[in-house]
Amino acid sequence: MVVGEVSSSVDLLVIGGGPGGYAAALNASRLGRTVSLVESRLIGGTCLNVGCIPSKALIEIADLASLGNSSKDLGVKISTSVDMPTVNKHIKGLVTDLSNGISFLLDKAKVDVINGTARFTRPNRVAVENKEGHLEHLEFRDAIVATGSSPITLPNLPTDGEMIVDSEALLFQDSIPDQLTLVGGGYIGVELATVYAKLGSRVVIVETEEQLLPGFNKQLSKKLENGLRSLGIGICLGYRAVSFDQNELIIENSKESSAIPSDLVGIVAGRKPNSDTVNIVESGASLLSTGHVKVDSQRRAAEHIFAIGDLTLGPALAHKATAEAKVAADAACGVSNAFEPNCIPMVVFSDPQIVTVGVDPDSDEYSGMDFNSFRFPFSASSRAKTLGDESGFINVVSDQEGTIVGFQAIGKHVAELAGEASLAIETAASIDDLIGTIHAHPTMGETILEAALGLAGEPLHLSGK
Amino acid sequence: MAFEFRLPDIGEGLEDAEIVSWYVSPGDVVERDQSLLEVLTDKASSELPSPVAGKVLKLSGQEGDRIKVGDVLIEIEEPPTTPPQENSLEEDLEIEESKPERDNSRIEEQKNFITVAPKVKASPATRKLARELTVDISSISGTGSSGRITNDDVRLAAKSDNTSSRPSSPIDSEQTSSFMPERSNLGFMEPGEHKVKGVRGVIAKNMSAAWTEIPHIHSLDEVDASLLIDFRNRLKKVTRQGASKITPLSIIAAATVRALKKYPMMNGHVVGNPAEKIIIPPSINLGIAVASESGLLVPVISEANSIDIFELAEKISELVELARERKITVEQMQGATFTITNYGALGGRWALPIISLGQAGILGVGKIEDRPVAVEGKVEARPTLPIVLGADHRLIDGDVAEAFKNSIMNDLLEPLNLLVTE
Repeated sequence: MVVGEVSSSVDLLVIGGGPGGYAAALNASRLGRTVSLVESRLIGGTCLNVGCIPSKALIEIADLASLGNSSKDLGVKISTSVDMPTVNKHIKGLVTDLSNGISFLLDKAKVDVINGTARFTRPNRVAVENKEGHLEHLEFRDAIVATGSSPITLPNLPTDGEMIVDSEALLFQDSIPDQLTLVGGGYIGVELATVYAKLGSRVVIVETEEQLLPGFNKQLSKKLENGLRSLGIGICLGYRAVSFDQNELIIENSKESSAIPSDLVGIVAGRKPNSDTVNIVESGASLLSTGHVKVDSQRRAAEHIFAIGDLTLGPALAHKATAEAKVAADAACGVSNAFEPNCIPMVVFSDPQIVTVGVDPDSDEYSGMDFNSFRFPFSASSRAKTLGDESGFINVVSDQEGTIVGFQAIGKHVAELAGEASLAIETAASIDDLIGTIHAHPTMGETILEAALGLAGEPLHLSGK
Repeated sequence: MAFEFRLPDIGEGLEDAEIVSWYVSPGDVVERDQSLLEVLTDKASSELPSPVAGKVLKLSGQEGDRIKVGDVLIEIEEPPTTPPQENSLEEDLEIEESKPERDNSRIEEQKNFITVAPKVKASPATRKLARELTVDISSISGTGSSGRITNDDVRLAAKSDNTSSRPSSPIDSEQTSSFMPERSNLGFMEPGEHKVKGVRGVIAKNMSAAWTEIPHIHSLDEVDASLLIDFRNRLKKVTRQGASKITPLSIIAAATVRALKKYPMMNGHVVGNPAEKIIIPPSINLGIAVASESGLLVPVISEANSIDIFELAEKISELVELARERKITVEQMQGATFTITNYGALGGRWALPIISLGQAGILGVGKIEDRPVAVEGKVEARPTLPIVLGADHRLIDGDVAEAFKNSIMNDLLEPLNLLVTE
């Protein structure tokens, strides 16, 4: 104990103002708690400020910038040019709007927002250091910790903010690099590769695994690889990045090494939970070997401590954090709830887009289990044809009793199918439920109906199986 | 360093305990507060939680062995107590990251996470309902299309969790609720020879001694339970702590306490075999027999003579729940001066219960059911409660037994008597 340490009492403390933290604060406030929220950077967290939102805005801009290429065959000639300072201003503007919106909601909910970095000093106490270095001690009744994650750093390729940068910096570049090499072929890597390829960079992805999007369905991954290659993206699978010297990134596998000319290297090797900086072990919580916080189904990490979002095991996705925020806020307020989703949708905004929800019968974890699946190619979808991209497909999976358990799709606009897919799995919809639901024509949603008809042995726009 | 967990003093004057079963084996990793083993002392079985987290190194003693208080039960290797240092965590990650295998571990973690998702065939709203009704939804088989679990399935499961069988009378479920739900393994035992241990061993010893020593007499009767049910229904609405816990059993218990006050001999017992002295205790400690998974347990409501019907109802509800969950302590099962056994909850009508040593009587309560009763020359269906009084004939003659039983029956026919405080 620090001698002379004076603390103020707070009721429910939320640490972190991202999609997990601010949602937890709003939920707990609605349940009658007096909430204080500590955020070290900006309200909205990674997702809103340096993640999902700016990246999606940038993806839209890249799509616009590349319209000239995609519209050629459709009879439209467009020439485009990109002014990055204006792009950055636009993105920063929309981010600020959204962040202000959340601050407004927190204000209305009477959440006390404290700017600073919190660190547990005792099971029921944190020290909050503000920018000026002043320390404030807060003693709380319950705490919900949502400090998120940070980009993984590679010791042999330390980021310098100029030549070697992380994913956050890649969202706000002053100019478009000529030769961009991305270390990491996960969803962040393939999204940023799509962006910069469309903006005109020569992009190379280096991935240690033998496929893009490790852990995803191999058919989707292969299809994505083809799609990205057709955008001019170079893909080196099974290679690790060794060093960067004189505008060359050296990569190697067990047999050989080669050099990739690069004037910018992006380290997009994934994210790691921010469990250490907040010193959460001091609260009585325990950590897994991955650095994630161990929690129960209520997201409880210790008697009065809850951890949510990227801090807990599972995909580091904003919507997972938001869902856990409700569970943790309920549990902290004595309302029965549990984080037991049947599925967590995963969406990749590459070109083509990818969505995967629930059971993927091709993945190892479901090997040996019996599922039925039907793959409906978008070449038979009228909507896909009108969108000018019919290379994708949707795969719908049911169990032996006909209950829908999984979806995988790749193609234009398939990200928007995540909602129906998740609802079907969460509500244990059957093949007949999908067939009995009228899907609007012509939409990509119809492809779900078509695949369900295929599962029932009655395909409509395909002959035979 | 290994932590030695010694048998703690879990009951007053306890010297030793029997190891009923081990929940862990050497090599297992246990968490703090995880149950390590079940021990039996006198007539209470307790689960002993681990005071530390770590790896089990050694178990001292086999199931069935007796262990003295203070003797080592189990050795547990504790992990280093210092929390992981930030730096080492950082280094671990970075070392991992610099290796090509890093993605594997990441994927493994993600896979494990996704596999965790229970593919429960119920909508989120139905799952929420199950949580609210504290029903384990994974144990329900759905009646909806393709086995989907509906809200009705959950409500039905919640109902059957509280009743072991379909209620046949309005108070059947309540009468039953003081007992455990139907067990699937009831009456099952592997063919072969079995050691008599645990609660079973204690029951065997006590019952044999009681049956051998006490000359039992039994008197059987039936009471019209219409007013009892009406009284219970009206009492439940009273705004008073304990009112919601009023059950037919607690009303019968209150009537019994009143009768024990009138006939202190029924609250006494004979010491010695055949008889050396008679003891009449100053207070009434009422035992309530409860079926638990490991056998019959009898929680005791001490000083039942000094509390009213509401407090009595509350105490019965609390202790029965503890016994059913086997969380009851030795002290909470000691010192009964009279026992009530409610075999009606198991569906029984008539039984001849055995008196425990150290008591002179036992009241058996059968199932309340509509039965034909002669009312003013006509046969009518009326809710009827069968009761049986067992008494130790060394101390109790027929006249005392009948008077005692009549006192209980009169109060059940006119339950307002039970609200009179003397």
